[in-house]
Amino acid sequence: MFTIIGKYFVLMGNVFTKPVRPSIFFKRVLDEIEQIGVDSLWIVAIVSIFMGAVLTLQVAINFEAPYIPKYLIGLSARDTMILEFSSTIICLILAGKVGSNIASEIGTMRITEQIDALEIMGVNSAGYLILPKMIAAFLTFPVLNILSIILGIFGGYAVASFTDTVMVYDYLYGLNYAFVPFYVTYSLIKICVFSLIITSVSSFYGYYTYGGALEVGQSSTKAVVYSIILILLFNLILTQLLLT
Amino acid sequence: MIEVKNISKSFNNNHVLKNVSADFVPGKISMVIGKSGSGKTVLLKSVIGLHTPDEGEIFFDKREFTKANMKFKRQIRQEIGMVFQGGALFTSSNIEDNIRFPLDLFTNMTKTEKKKRVDFCLERVNMEDSNKLFPAEISGGMQKRVSIARAIVLNPKYLFCDEPNSGLDPQTAILIDRLIKEITAEYNTTTIVNTHDMNSVIEIADNIYFIHEGQKWWEGGRDDIFYSDNKELNDFVFASDLYKKIKALAK
Repeated sequence: MFTIIGKYFVLMGNVFTKPVRPSIFFKRVLDEIEQIGVDSLWIVAIVSIFMGAVLTLQVAINFEAPYIPKYLIGLSARDTMILEFSSTIICLILAGKVGSNIASEIGTMRITEQIDALEIMGVNSAGYLILPKMIAAFLTFPVLNILSIILGIFGGYAVASFTDTVMVYDYLYGLNYAFVPFYVTYSLIKICVFSLIITSVSSFYGYYTYGGALEVGQSSTKAVVYSIILILLFNLILTQLLLT
Repeated sequence: MIEVKNISKSFNNNHVLKNVSADFVPGKISMVIGKSGSGKTVLLKSVIGLHTPDEGEIFFDKREFTKANMKFKRQIRQEIGMVFQGGALFTSSNIEDNIRFPLDLFTNMTKTEKKKRVDFCLERVNMEDSNKLFPAEISGGMQKRVSIARAIVLNPKYLFCDEPNSGLDPQTAILIDRLIKEITAEYNTTTIVNTHDMNSVIEIADNIYFIHEGQKWWEGGRDDIFYSDNKELNDFVFASDLYKKIKALAK
Protein backbone atom coordinates (compact mmCIF):
# COMPACT_ATOMS: atom_id res chain seq x y z
CA MET A 1 0.00 0.00 0.00
CA PHE A 2 2.67 2.52 1.09
CA THR A 3 4.93 1.33 -1.73
CA ILE A 4 2.19 2.08 -4.26
CA ILE A 5 1.56 5.53 -2.76
CA GLY A 6 5.32 6.21 -2.78
CA LYS A 7 5.64 5.10 -6.41
CA TYR A 8 2.65 7.29 -7.32
CA PHE A 9 4.28 10.41 -5.84
CA VAL A 10 7.66 9.61 -7.41
CA LEU A 11 5.91 9.32 -10.78
CA MET A 12 4.09 12.61 -10.19
CA GLY A 13 7.47 14.18 -9.35
CA ASN A 14 8.73 13.06 -12.76
CA VAL A 15 5.55 14.23 -14.46
CA PHE A 16 6.04 17.78 -13.21
CA THR A 17 9.67 18.13 -14.24
CA LYS A 18 10.63 20.26 -17.24
CA PRO A 19 8.63 19.12 -20.29
CA VAL A 20 9.87 18.68 -23.87
CA ARG A 21 9.97 21.60 -26.31
CA PRO A 22 7.01 23.97 -25.76
CA SER A 23 5.75 23.63 -29.35
CA ILE A 24 5.65 19.82 -29.13
CA PHE A 25 4.17 19.95 -25.65
CA PHE A 26 1.43 22.35 -26.79
CA LYS A 27 0.56 20.04 -29.70
CA ARG A 28 0.39 17.10 -27.29
CA VAL A 29 -2.00 19.05 -25.03
CA LEU A 30 -4.24 19.88 -28.01
CA ASP A 31 -4.30 16.23 -29.10
CA GLU A 32 -5.25 15.18 -25.59
CA ILE A 33 -7.95 17.86 -25.34
CA GLU A 34 -9.51 16.27 -28.40
CA GLN A 35 -9.13 12.71 -27.11
CA ILE A 36 -10.09 13.31 -23.48
CA GLY A 37 -12.49 16.25 -23.70
CA VAL A 38 -14.05 16.53 -27.15
CA ASP A 39 -14.50 12.77 -27.56
CA SER A 40 -16.34 12.65 -24.23
CA LEU A 41 -18.88 15.31 -25.24
CA TRP A 42 -21.42 12.89 -26.67
CA ILE A 43 -21.53 10.55 -23.67
CA VAL A 44 -21.79 13.48 -21.24
CA ALA A 45 -24.54 15.05 -23.35
CA ILE A 46 -26.61 11.88 -23.70
CA VAL A 47 -26.32 10.87 -20.03
CA SER A 48 -27.05 14.41 -18.80
CA ILE A 49 -30.16 14.97 -20.94
CA PHE A 50 -31.70 11.62 -20.00
CA MET A 51 -30.77 11.82 -16.32
CA GLY A 52 -32.12 15.38 -16.10
CA ALA A 53 -35.37 14.20 -17.67
CA VAL A 54 -35.69 11.10 -15.49
CA LEU A 55 -34.80 13.07 -12.36
CA THR A 56 -37.54 15.59 -13.09
CA LEU A 57 -40.07 12.84 -13.75
CA GLN A 58 -39.22 10.95 -10.56
CA VAL A 59 -39.31 14.05 -8.38
CA ALA A 60 -42.62 15.10 -9.95
CA ILE A 61 -44.14 11.66 -9.28
CA ASN A 62 -42.99 11.75 -5.65
CA PHE A 63 -44.14 15.35 -5.06
CA GLU A 64 -47.83 14.57 -5.52
CA ALA A 65 -48.94 15.92 -2.13
CA PRO A 66 -50.82 19.21 -2.68
CA TYR A 67 -48.98 21.04 0.10
CA ILE A 68 -45.59 20.62 -1.63
CA PRO A 69 -45.01 23.52 -4.04
CA LYS A 70 -44.49 22.28 -7.62
CA TYR A 71 -41.62 24.67 -8.24
CA LEU A 72 -39.51 22.48 -5.94
CA ILE A 73 -39.31 20.01 -8.85
CA GLY A 74 -37.28 22.49 -10.90
CA LEU A 75 -35.23 23.48 -7.86
CA SER A 76 -34.35 19.89 -6.98
CA ALA A 77 -33.49 19.08 -10.60
CA ARG A 78 -31.19 22.12 -10.74
CA ASP A 79 -29.46 21.50 -7.42
CA THR A 80 -29.04 17.77 -8.00
CA MET A 81 -27.44 18.44 -11.38
CA ILE A 82 -25.14 21.14 -10.01
CA LEU A 83 -24.20 19.59 -6.68
CA GLU A 84 -23.73 15.93 -7.49
CA PHE A 85 -24.65 14.71 -10.93
CA SER A 86 -22.63 16.95 -13.23
CA SER A 87 -19.50 16.69 -11.15
CA THR A 88 -19.42 13.38 -9.25
CA ILE A 89 -21.59 11.08 -11.37
CA ILE A 90 -20.19 12.42 -14.64
CA CYS A 91 -16.68 11.84 -13.30
CA LEU A 92 -17.56 8.28 -12.32
CA ILE A 93 -18.65 7.77 -15.94
CA LEU A 94 -15.51 9.50 -17.25
CA ALA A 95 -13.35 7.35 -14.96
CA GLY A 96 -14.67 4.41 -16.96
CA LYS A 97 -14.33 5.99 -20.37
CA VAL A 98 -11.25 8.20 -20.08
CA GLY A 99 -9.49 6.31 -17.25
CA SER A 100 -9.57 2.91 -18.94
CA ASN A 101 -8.49 4.50 -22.21
CA ILE A 102 -5.49 6.21 -20.59
CA ALA A 103 -4.41 3.10 -18.66
CA SER A 104 -4.66 0.83 -21.68
CA GLU A 105 -2.92 3.33 -23.98
CA ILE A 106 0.05 3.88 -21.65
CA GLY A 107 0.08 0.21 -20.60
CA THR A 108 0.31 -0.90 -24.24
CA MET A 109 3.09 1.62 -24.83
CA ARG A 110 4.91 0.12 -21.85
CA ILE A 111 4.68 -3.53 -22.91
CA THR A 112 5.57 -2.74 -26.53
CA GLU A 113 8.69 -0.87 -25.32
CA GLN A 114 7.50 2.49 -26.72
CA ILE A 115 8.09 4.08 -23.30
CA ASP A 116 11.61 2.59 -23.21
CA ALA A 117 12.13 4.02 -26.70
CA LEU A 118 11.17 7.49 -25.44
CA GLU A 119 13.55 7.16 -22.49
CA ILE A 120 16.39 6.02 -24.74
CA MET A 121 15.82 9.06 -26.94
CA GLY A 122 16.42 11.20 -23.84
CA VAL A 123 12.76 12.12 -23.34
CA ASN A 124 11.17 12.32 -19.88
CA SER A 125 8.48 9.78 -20.76
CA ALA A 126 6.32 10.50 -17.70
CA GLY A 127 6.22 14.21 -18.43
CA TYR A 128 5.74 13.69 -22.15
CA LEU A 129 2.89 11.20 -21.83
CA ILE A 130 1.09 12.07 -18.60
CA LEU A 131 1.29 15.85 -18.08
CA PRO A 132 -0.58 16.74 -21.32
CA LYS A 133 -3.37 14.35 -20.30
CA MET A 134 -3.65 15.96 -16.86
CA ILE A 135 -3.70 19.49 -18.31
CA ALA A 136 -6.21 18.49 -20.99
CA ALA A 137 -8.57 16.94 -18.43
CA PHE A 138 -8.13 19.89 -16.07
CA LEU A 139 -9.12 22.28 -18.86
CA THR A 140 -11.94 20.30 -20.46
CA PHE A 141 -13.72 18.63 -17.54
CA PRO A 142 -15.07 21.95 -16.16
CA VAL A 143 -16.50 22.65 -19.63
CA LEU A 144 -18.12 19.21 -19.61
CA ASN A 145 -19.43 20.00 -16.13
CA ILE A 146 -21.16 23.20 -17.24
CA LEU A 147 -22.46 21.49 -20.37
CA SER A 148 -23.84 18.65 -18.26
CA ILE A 149 -25.64 21.08 -15.92
CA ILE A 150 -27.22 22.93 -18.86
CA LEU A 151 -28.25 19.76 -20.70
CA GLY A 152 -29.57 18.09 -17.55
CA ILE A 153 -31.75 21.10 -16.81
CA PHE A 154 -32.81 21.11 -20.45
CA GLY A 155 -33.80 17.42 -20.11
CA GLY A 156 -36.06 18.39 -17.21
CA TYR A 157 -37.47 21.27 -19.26
CA ALA A 158 -38.27 18.83 -22.08
CA VAL A 159 -40.21 16.66 -19.61
CA ALA A 160 -42.10 19.73 -18.40
CA SER A 161 -42.86 20.73 -22.00
CA PHE A 162 -43.96 17.36 -23.35
CA THR A 163 -45.68 15.76 -20.33
CA ASP A 164 -48.23 16.94 -17.82
CA THR A 165 -46.22 15.96 -14.74
CA VAL A 166 -45.07 19.53 -14.11
CA MET A 167 -46.00 22.90 -15.56
CA VAL A 168 -43.27 24.66 -17.53
CA TYR A 169 -43.89 27.82 -15.49
CA ASP A 170 -43.39 25.93 -12.19
CA TYR A 171 -40.26 24.26 -13.49
CA LEU A 172 -38.73 27.55 -14.65
CA TYR A 173 -39.73 29.27 -11.41
CA GLY A 174 -38.04 26.47 -9.45
CA LEU A 175 -34.88 26.84 -11.53
CA ASN A 176 -34.61 30.50 -10.50
CA TYR A 177 -35.74 30.01 -6.91
CA ALA A 178 -33.14 30.30 -4.11
CA PHE A 179 -30.19 29.88 -6.45
CA VAL A 180 -26.83 29.72 -4.67
CA PRO A 181 -24.07 30.68 -7.14
CA PHE A 182 -21.41 29.10 -4.91
CA TYR A 183 -22.86 25.67 -5.76
CA VAL A 184 -21.50 26.10 -9.29
CA THR A 185 -18.09 27.04 -7.93
CA TYR A 186 -18.24 24.00 -5.62
CA SER A 187 -19.12 21.78 -8.56
CA LEU A 188 -16.26 23.20 -10.66
CA ILE A 189 -13.74 22.78 -7.84
CA LYS A 190 -14.81 19.15 -7.43
CA ILE A 191 -14.54 18.32 -11.12
CA CYS A 192 -11.09 19.92 -11.35
CA VAL A 193 -9.87 17.72 -8.49
CA PHE A 194 -11.56 14.65 -9.99
CA SER A 195 -9.98 15.34 -13.40
CA LEU A 196 -6.52 15.14 -11.82
CA ILE A 197 -7.45 11.98 -9.92
CA ILE A 198 -8.73 10.18 -13.04
CA THR A 199 -5.79 11.10 -15.27
CA SER A 200 -3.01 10.63 -12.71
CA VAL A 201 -4.29 7.35 -11.23
CA SER A 202 -5.01 5.86 -14.66
CA SER A 203 -1.63 6.99 -15.98
CA PHE A 204 0.05 5.51 -12.91
CA TYR A 205 -1.49 2.06 -13.46
CA GLY A 206 -0.73 2.21 -17.18
CA TYR A 207 2.85 3.37 -16.65
CA TYR A 208 3.66 0.53 -14.26
CA THR A 209 2.17 -2.24 -16.39
CA TYR A 210 4.49 -5.20 -16.83
CA GLY A 211 3.75 -8.33 -18.81
CA GLY A 212 1.40 -8.64 -21.74
CA ALA A 213 -2.10 -7.95 -22.97
CA LEU A 214 -3.68 -9.57 -19.89
CA GLU A 215 -1.80 -7.22 -17.57
CA VAL A 216 -2.87 -4.22 -19.66
CA GLY A 217 -6.49 -5.27 -19.07
CA GLN A 218 -5.82 -5.68 -15.35
CA SER A 219 -4.19 -2.23 -15.17
CA SER A 220 -7.15 -0.74 -16.94
CA THR A 221 -9.57 -2.31 -14.44
CA LYS A 222 -7.46 -1.18 -11.47
CA ALA A 223 -7.30 2.34 -12.91
CA VAL A 224 -11.09 2.58 -13.09
CA VAL A 225 -11.72 0.98 -9.68
CA TYR A 226 -9.19 3.11 -7.78
CA SER A 227 -10.22 6.28 -9.61
CA ILE A 228 -13.83 5.68 -8.58
CA ILE A 229 -12.89 4.98 -4.96
CA LEU A 230 -10.74 8.13 -4.80
CA ILE A 231 -13.45 10.23 -6.45
CA LEU A 232 -15.97 9.11 -3.84
CA LEU A 233 -13.50 9.73 -1.02
CA PHE A 234 -12.56 13.20 -2.25
CA ASN A 235 -16.22 13.99 -2.90
CA LEU A 236 -16.85 13.48 0.80
CA ILE A 237 -13.77 15.47 1.84
CA LEU A 238 -14.50 18.39 -0.50
CA THR A 239 -18.15 18.52 0.49
CA GLN A 240 -17.18 18.62 4.14
CA LEU A 241 -14.61 21.36 3.45
CA LEU A 242 -16.63 23.53 1.08
CA LEU A 243 -20.26 23.20 2.07
CA THR A 244 -20.36 22.75 5.83
CA MET B 1 33.90 3.61 -26.74
CA ILE B 2 31.73 2.08 -24.04
CA GLU B 3 33.48 0.60 -21.02
CA VAL B 4 31.55 -1.69 -18.73
CA LYS B 5 33.37 -2.35 -15.47
CA ASN B 6 32.36 -5.10 -13.07
CA ILE B 7 28.63 -4.58 -13.18
CA SER B 8 26.27 -6.74 -11.14
CA LYS B 9 22.53 -6.68 -11.01
CA SER B 10 20.03 -8.67 -9.01
CA PHE B 11 16.25 -8.74 -8.78
CA ASN B 12 14.74 -9.97 -5.48
CA ASN B 13 18.00 -11.74 -4.50
CA ASN B 14 18.20 -13.39 -7.92
CA HIS B 15 21.65 -12.46 -9.23
CA VAL B 16 21.09 -11.89 -12.93
CA LEU B 17 24.45 -10.26 -13.72
CA LYS B 18 27.64 -11.06 -11.86
CA ASN B 19 30.68 -8.89 -12.21
CA VAL B 20 30.52 -8.41 -15.98
CA SER B 21 33.15 -6.29 -17.72
CA ALA B 22 33.49 -5.49 -21.40
CA ASP B 23 34.88 -2.84 -23.73
CA PHE B 24 32.78 -2.01 -26.77
CA VAL B 25 34.81 -0.23 -29.42
CA PRO B 26 33.72 2.23 -32.14
CA GLY B 27 33.33 1.03 -35.70
CA LYS B 28 32.94 -2.57 -34.58
CA ILE B 29 29.92 -4.75 -34.00
CA SER B 30 29.97 -6.34 -30.56
CA MET B 31 27.52 -9.18 -30.18
CA VAL B 32 26.23 -10.37 -26.86
CA ILE B 33 25.03 -13.94 -27.07
CA GLY B 34 23.61 -16.37 -24.56
CA LYS B 35 20.64 -18.53 -23.72
CA SER B 36 17.28 -17.02 -22.80
CA GLY B 37 17.47 -15.87 -19.20
CA SER B 38 21.27 -15.72 -19.22
CA GLY B 39 21.22 -11.98 -18.47
CA LYS B 40 22.10 -10.45 -21.83
CA THR B 41 19.01 -8.24 -22.03
CA VAL B 42 19.62 -7.05 -18.45
CA LEU B 43 23.20 -6.27 -19.49
CA LEU B 44 22.00 -4.23 -22.46
CA LYS B 45 19.34 -2.42 -20.42
CA SER B 46 21.90 -1.70 -17.68
CA VAL B 47 24.31 -0.20 -20.21
CA ILE B 48 21.65 2.15 -21.57
CA GLY B 49 20.38 2.98 -18.10
CA LEU B 50 16.95 1.36 -18.16
CA HIS B 51 18.20 -0.72 -15.21
CA THR B 52 20.51 0.67 -12.54
CA PRO B 53 23.32 -1.78 -11.77
CA ASP B 54 23.82 -2.72 -8.10
CA GLU B 55 27.57 -2.50 -8.53
CA GLY B 56 30.06 -1.46 -11.19
CA GLU B 57 30.52 1.42 -13.56
CA ILE B 58 29.74 2.24 -17.17
CA PHE B 59 31.60 4.88 -19.18
CA PHE B 60 30.54 6.39 -22.50
CA ASP B 61 33.74 7.81 -23.98
CA LYS B 62 35.16 8.29 -20.46
CA ARG B 63 31.93 9.89 -19.22
CA GLU B 64 30.61 8.14 -16.11
CA PHE B 65 27.03 7.04 -16.80
CA THR B 66 25.88 4.89 -13.88
CA LYS B 67 26.08 7.55 -11.19
CA ALA B 68 25.24 10.49 -13.46
CA ASN B 69 22.10 12.51 -12.79
CA MET B 70 19.05 12.10 -15.02
CA LYS B 71 19.76 15.32 -16.93
CA PHE B 72 23.23 14.10 -17.91
CA LYS B 73 21.93 10.62 -18.70
CA ARG B 74 19.35 12.15 -21.05
CA GLN B 75 22.12 14.13 -22.77
CA ILE B 76 24.09 10.93 -23.38
CA ARG B 77 20.96 9.12 -24.50
CA GLN B 78 20.55 11.65 -27.29
CA GLU B 79 23.72 10.12 -28.72
CA ILE B 80 22.22 6.62 -28.57
CA GLY B 81 20.21 4.89 -31.26
CA MET B 82 18.28 1.82 -30.25
CA VAL B 83 16.56 -0.87 -32.26
CA PHE B 84 14.11 -2.72 -30.04
CA GLN B 85 13.11 -6.35 -30.40
CA GLY B 86 9.56 -5.44 -31.40
CA GLY B 87 10.51 -2.25 -33.21
CA ALA B 88 8.85 -0.04 -30.54
CA LEU B 89 7.47 2.29 -33.19
CA PHE B 90 4.83 4.77 -32.03
CA THR B 91 1.70 3.10 -33.29
CA SER B 92 -0.39 6.27 -33.38
CA SER B 93 2.09 8.04 -35.71
CA ASN B 94 2.96 7.29 -39.31
CA ILE B 95 6.43 6.24 -40.37
CA GLU B 96 7.55 9.75 -41.26
CA ASP B 97 6.44 11.11 -37.88
CA ASN B 98 8.16 8.22 -36.11
CA ILE B 99 11.49 8.98 -37.75
CA ARG B 100 11.10 12.75 -37.50
CA PHE B 101 10.30 12.58 -33.78
CA PRO B 102 13.93 12.82 -32.51
CA LEU B 103 14.57 15.64 -34.99
CA ASP B 104 11.57 17.58 -33.65
CA LEU B 105 12.84 17.17 -30.12
CA PHE B 106 16.54 17.75 -30.41
CA THR B 107 17.34 19.77 -33.51
CA ASN B 108 16.57 23.20 -34.88
CA MET B 109 16.16 21.97 -38.44
CA THR B 110 13.55 23.52 -40.70
CA LYS B 111 10.62 21.44 -41.94
CA THR B 112 12.30 20.95 -45.32
CA GLU B 113 15.57 19.85 -43.74
CA LYS B 114 13.74 17.39 -41.53
CA LYS B 115 11.81 15.97 -44.47
CA LYS B 116 15.06 15.60 -46.40
CA ARG B 117 16.71 13.81 -43.48
CA VAL B 118 13.73 11.47 -42.98
CA ASP B 119 13.70 10.62 -46.67
CA PHE B 120 17.44 9.97 -46.58
CA CYS B 121 17.09 7.60 -43.61
CA LEU B 122 14.18 5.78 -45.24
CA GLU B 123 16.16 5.44 -48.44
CA ARG B 124 19.09 4.14 -46.39
CA VAL B 125 16.94 1.24 -45.14
CA ASN B 126 15.29 0.68 -48.54
CA MET B 127 11.91 2.00 -47.41
CA GLU B 128 11.43 4.89 -49.83
CA ASP B 129 7.87 6.13 -50.42
CA SER B 130 6.48 4.58 -47.26
CA ASN B 131 6.37 7.87 -45.31
CA LYS B 132 2.62 7.96 -44.82
CA LEU B 133 2.09 4.32 -43.83
CA PHE B 134 1.37 3.40 -40.21
CA PRO B 135 3.35 0.74 -38.31
CA ALA B 136 0.32 -1.58 -38.32
CA GLU B 137 0.28 -1.48 -42.12
CA ILE B 138 3.80 -2.83 -42.64
CA SER B 139 5.46 -6.21 -42.00
CA GLY B 140 7.70 -7.06 -39.02
CA GLY B 141 10.82 -6.83 -41.17
CA MET B 142 9.80 -3.40 -42.45
CA GLN B 143 9.09 -2.26 -38.88
CA LYS B 144 12.63 -3.28 -37.92
CA ARG B 145 13.99 -1.29 -40.85
CA VAL B 146 11.95 1.77 -39.85
CA SER B 147 13.22 1.28 -36.31
CA ILE B 148 16.79 1.33 -37.66
CA ALA B 149 15.99 4.47 -39.67
CA ARG B 150 14.70 6.15 -36.50
CA ALA B 151 17.77 4.99 -34.58
CA ILE B 152 20.19 6.56 -37.07
CA VAL B 153 18.32 9.78 -37.77
CA LEU B 154 20.41 11.79 -35.28
CA ASN B 155 23.70 10.18 -36.40
CA PRO B 156 24.16 8.28 -33.13
CA LYS B 157 27.56 7.55 -31.67
CA TYR B 158 26.24 4.38 -30.07
CA LEU B 159 23.85 1.89 -31.65
CA PHE B 160 22.11 -0.78 -29.60
CA CYS B 161 20.09 -3.58 -31.16
CA ASP B 162 18.04 -5.98 -29.06
CA GLU B 163 17.46 -9.17 -31.03
CA PRO B 164 17.04 -7.34 -34.34
CA ASN B 165 16.38 -10.57 -36.26
CA SER B 166 13.85 -12.23 -34.00
CA GLY B 167 10.74 -13.30 -35.86
CA LEU B 168 12.16 -12.49 -39.29
CA ASP B 169 12.61 -14.80 -42.28
CA PRO B 170 16.25 -15.65 -43.14
CA GLN B 171 16.42 -13.31 -46.13
CA THR B 172 15.09 -10.31 -44.20
CA ALA B 173 17.35 -11.20 -41.27
CA ILE B 174 20.39 -11.08 -43.57
CA LEU B 175 19.19 -7.73 -44.93
CA ILE B 176 18.94 -6.31 -41.41
CA ASP B 177 22.37 -7.71 -40.51
CA ARG B 178 23.98 -6.11 -43.53
CA LEU B 179 22.27 -2.83 -42.76
CA ILE B 180 23.66 -2.83 -39.22
CA LYS B 181 27.12 -3.67 -40.55
CA GLU B 182 27.01 -0.90 -43.16
CA ILE B 183 25.73 1.69 -40.70
CA THR B 184 28.40 0.78 -38.14
CA ALA B 185 31.13 1.23 -40.73
CA GLU B 186 29.58 4.35 -42.27
CA TYR B 187 29.01 6.28 -39.01
CA ASN B 188 31.77 4.62 -36.97
CA THR B 189 29.21 3.80 -34.28
CA THR B 190 29.88 1.68 -31.25
CA THR B 191 27.38 -1.06 -32.01
CA ILE B 192 26.15 -3.62 -29.49
CA VAL B 193 23.78 -6.34 -30.67
CA ASN B 194 21.97 -8.82 -28.45
CA THR B 195 21.15 -11.92 -30.40
CA HIS B 196 20.28 -15.61 -30.43
CA ASP B 197 20.83 -15.82 -34.13
CA MET B 198 24.03 -17.67 -34.94
CA ASN B 199 23.79 -16.71 -38.60
CA SER B 200 24.10 -13.06 -37.53
CA VAL B 201 27.04 -13.87 -35.30
CA ILE B 202 28.92 -15.59 -38.09
CA GLU B 203 27.86 -13.01 -40.67
CA ILE B 204 28.65 -9.67 -38.99
CA ALA B 205 30.12 -9.99 -35.47
CA ASP B 206 33.50 -8.39 -34.82
CA ASN B 207 33.62 -9.15 -31.11
CA ILE B 208 31.50 -11.73 -29.31
CA TYR B 209 30.61 -11.84 -25.63
CA PHE B 210 29.03 -15.06 -24.41
CA ILE B 211 26.94 -14.58 -21.27
CA HIS B 212 26.24 -17.68 -19.21
CA GLU B 213 24.39 -17.66 -15.87
CA GLY B 214 24.90 -13.93 -15.55
CA GLN B 215 28.65 -14.04 -16.12
CA LYS B 216 30.83 -13.22 -19.08
CA TRP B 217 31.83 -16.77 -19.89
CA TRP B 218 33.77 -16.23 -23.07
CA GLU B 219 34.99 -13.37 -25.25
CA GLY B 220 36.56 -13.46 -28.66
CA GLY B 221 36.37 -12.78 -32.38
CA ARG B 222 34.15 -14.35 -35.01
CA ASP B 223 36.79 -16.86 -36.08
CA ASP B 224 37.84 -17.73 -32.53
CA ILE B 225 34.41 -19.20 -31.89
CA PHE B 226 35.20 -22.16 -34.16
CA TYR B 227 38.33 -23.09 -32.26
CA SER B 228 37.16 -22.57 -28.70
CA ASP B 229 37.06 -25.50 -26.31
CA ASN B 230 34.66 -23.74 -23.97
CA LYS B 231 32.01 -26.39 -23.35
CA GLU B 232 29.09 -24.06 -22.55
CA LEU B 233 29.89 -21.89 -25.56
CA ASN B 234 30.08 -24.89 -27.87
CA ASP B 235 26.85 -26.33 -26.47
CA PHE B 236 25.13 -23.01 -27.18
CA VAL B 237 26.61 -22.05 -30.54
CA PHE B 238 26.91 -25.47 -32.09
CA ALA B 239 23.64 -26.89 -30.84
CA SER B 240 22.38 -27.82 -34.29
CA ASP B 241 23.84 -30.61 -36.46
CA LEU B 242 24.52 -28.10 -39.21
CA TYR B 243 26.69 -25.94 -37.00
CA LYS B 244 28.47 -29.02 -35.60
CA LYS B 245 29.40 -29.91 -39.18
CA ILE B 246 30.50 -26.34 -39.89
CA LYS B 247 32.70 -26.41 -36.79
CA ALA B 248 34.21 -29.76 -37.83
CA LEU B 249 34.92 -28.37 -41.29
CA ALA B 250 36.44 -25.22 -39.83
CA LYS B 251 38.74 -27.26 -37.65
